[in-house]
Amino acid sequence: MIELLDPTVQPGPAPQPVAYAPRPGSLAGKRVGLVENTKFNSDRLLQKIGDLLRAEHGAGETRMWRKHNSSVPAHDAIIQELRATCDVMVAGIGD
Amino acid sequence: MTVELSSKRHAIEDLTDAIEFCHQQGWTDGLPVVPPTPDRVLAMLEAVRLAPDHQVAYIAHRAVAVTAEKVAVNAVMAGCTPAYMPVVVAAIEGIGDPAWSYHGPGTSTAGAGVLIVVNGPVARELDINAGDNLFGPGWRANLTIGRAVRLVMRNVCGSRPGTLDRGTLGHPGKLSYVIAENELDSPWPPLHVERGFRADQSAVTVMAAEAPHQFYNQLSRTAEGVLTTLADDMRISGNVMGQTQYLVILAGEHMRTIARDGWSKARIRHFVWEHTQNSHAHLKRTHRMAGEILPGDETRMRPLVETPDDILVVAAGGRAGAFSAYVPGWGSKRSSQAVTKEVKR
Repeated sequence: MIELLDPTVQPGPAPQPVAYAPRPGSLAGKRVGLVENTKFNSDRLLQKIGDLLRAEHGAGETRMWRKHNSSVPAHDAIIQELRATCDVMVAGIGD
Repeated sequence: MTVELSSKRHAIEDLTDAIEFCHQQGWTDGLPVVPPTPDRVLAMLEAVRLAPDHQVAYIAHRAVAVTAEKVAVNAVMAGCTPAYMPVVVAAIEGIGDPAWSYHGPGTSTAGAGVLIVVNGPVARELDINAGDNLFGPGWRANLTIGRAVRLVMRNVCGSRPGTLDRGTLGHPGKLSYVIAENELDSPWPPLHVERGFRADQSAVTVMAAEAPHQFYNQLSRTAEGVLTTLADDMRISGNVMGQTQYLVILAGEHMRTIARDGWSKARIRHFVWEHTQNSHAHLKRTHRMAGEILPGDETRMRPLVETPDDILVVAAGGRAGAFSAYVPGWGSKRSSQAVTKEVKR
């Protein structure tokens, strides 16, 4: 009989639950934040989405932020500015 | 002192079953592993005098703590001896460093390996190859240390091919990618000294990297000749537009030719930086840079790497043969940078 130790990480206690912001009932007049990840065309794709939200759902102004690079979460300054100046946000990847 | 290991235990009938069991659990890279028994794991931990729950690295983007115990289990499976464990630990500290930025190179479709350059006395003591067949095969330390790192990435950090390792092509270096610098024959200060360590310290440098590219120059008797060939070969390589870091590996004959002309590593770096720039027009014509060719693009140059310091230079490889190599880094320097950590013993 041989005893082996498991090389993987066993699931720990349930992770801290993530609280989602309540969804707005309507986008009318809402300020939209767009976070692009620096890949080719991600800015164009997100701007198009922002334009559609304004044209078809009456969203208010849109504003775009650019992450440091595609492999990291949005940096703190983006999060803080989003929180202060936007009602909803869209993040996405373009390649 | 009793050392408490916390990993889940699996009871297996015999040795053959144990190897097969590890395959079945999805713990391996496709090759057979050494069964990670508690006595072998304890020997690994003793070699680094670390408690099992010591946190070697924290991968923030994955919210994963890599403990010494898990590094030890995977090092056993990879076929390491306990003497290799300090090098494995230093390499894991390296890929856990925010500057290496694990999530990108650990996941990306561009398929990075973890290139590990070992410097200092530990490389000689552990017989980490710096010479013939530099990238393998043939040396246990080179093949098992890098394998241990990759198994930790797979089993602890979640970088499993097909799920959180999405390499489109990957490359053989993703199995193991370890070299030492040939400090005994090199005319230059070793890499770890250039990066802030003493020559009598041991260190590992980890770089997220593509496969090595060999280049030929069997004609030149001058440093400029050899490096002109290198630059011409390198100019269009890797992520061209990404401005990654590069490792240049100068093997025996080229090393001696360049040394004879008295060129320092700094001069090599500067020359290669200067001669690997591409015109915007060429980058646009070859569909690497977006946009129409504009007036001035034929002479507007884009460096392959941001600065000469982004070209790391080491002496390594066999004595004979007029070949050397370069290794493009993964992605971009903005996304991941080479990191050097001391090997603590």
